[in-house]
Amino acid sequence: MHELGITQNVLSIVLKEATKAGASRVTKVSLKVGEWSTVEPDCLKFYFGILAKGTLAEGAEVAVEQVPVAYACENCGHEYIPLVSAFACPRCSSNKGKLITGRELFVDSIEVENADSGSAKSSGCK
Amino acid sequence: MQIPVVQKVLAANDLLAGEMRAEFEKFGLFVVNIMGSPGAGKTSLIEQTLSRAGDLKIGVVEGDLATSLDAERIARHGAQVVQINTGGACHLDASMVRKALDRIDVTSLDVLIIENVGNLVCPVSFDLGETARVVVCSIPEGDDKVLKYPAIFSSASIVVLNKIDLLPYVPFDLAKFEESIANIGRRLIKVSCNTGDGLDNWMEWLRARQV
Ligand SMILES: [Zn+2]
Repeated sequence: MHELGITQNVLSIVLKEATKAGASRVTKVSLKVGEWSTVEPDCLKFYFGILAKGTLAEGAEVAVEQVPVAYACENCGHEYIPLVSAFACPRCSSNKGKLITGRELFVDSIEVENADSGSAKSSGCK
Repeated sequence: MQIPVVQKVLAANDLLAGEMRAEFEKFGLFVVNIMGSPGAGKTSLIEQTLSRAGDLKIGVVEGDLATSLDAERIARHGAQVVQINTGGACHLDASMVRKALDRIDVTSLDVLIIENVGNLVCPVSFDLGETARVVVCSIPEGDDKVLKYPAIFSSASIVVLNKIDLLPYVPFDLAKFEESIANIGRRLIKVSCNTGDGLDNWMEWLRARQV
C-alpha cells in the first residue's frame, strides 16, 4: 500500500499548478491511472480527501480515468488488449508483445476558481 | 477554469532512475532488480549466486522493512552489501537506491543486485535504474501467480521458479505455470536453491548480462 506517498505527490503537483495559476480554490483534479499502475483509485481518493484539508484543494472532486492495458505486437504491429489467459497477439500469435498503455499515473488537469478574475482574463482563460 | 497539467506523479523517481541508469551504463554495470513474494527465495538465490560468482564481481543492495538479517546472510559471502530499511514501505524507490550507492563502490563491480521488498504488487511502479528485472516465485506459492499478478510478470525480463525440489510434495501444476510464463512471453529458469538444481542456467543468464 503505497497510495499515501503517491497521493502526497499528486497533491503537491496540484497545489503547485494551482498556485502558478493564481487560483483561490481547486474544484476538480483529473487523473489518468493505468490498470497496471498498482494504484487503487478509491484509496487515492480517500487519502486525497484527508491530505487536502486546509489547502487550496480541500473538498476538490477527484476524477480517475482508468487506462486499460494495451499491447503492441513487435512482430506484426497489431495493437490489442491482452487477456490474462492469452497475452499472445490475436492476429499472428506472437508473444513478443510490448505494453503500450496501462502503467500511466499522471495528473491530467485541474479545475480551479480564480480569486482575481482579471488575471484569468489577461491569460486568456474564462 | 480548467488547467491542463499532464504531469507524471512519479516524475521525480523516474528522473532519478534515468540518471542512475545512464551512470550504470557508463561503468558497464549490469543492475538486476530482484522482486518476488516474501519467502520465495530472493535472498537464497543471491547467496547461491555469490557462492558461484567466481571472478564476477557482485555487489548487493538489500531492501528490507526493518531488519538486517538478509544483509548479514549476504555479508557472510564476502560481497559488498548495503542494507536499506524502508521502515514499512512496500517497495524500494530510486532515491533509496541512490542513497545506498554512497556506501558501495560500484565502479569495482560487474553486477549490482538489488533485492526489492517482498511484494508482487508495489515494486512494479518504481524504476530503480535497473538493467533487468527478475521475478522469483516458488513452488509453495502456487501455479496461479502469473494470472493473479500479470503486471509484475509483464515488467520482468526473466522469471525464476525456485524450490523445484518440492514438486513431488506440493500440488503445483508445472505445465500450467510454464504455459502462463510462455503466454506472457518471458523466459523461465527453474531452480532449487536447496539442491542447487538449475542454478547453472541462472548463472549463465547472469554472466551473459543480456536482458
Ligand atoms: Zn502480431
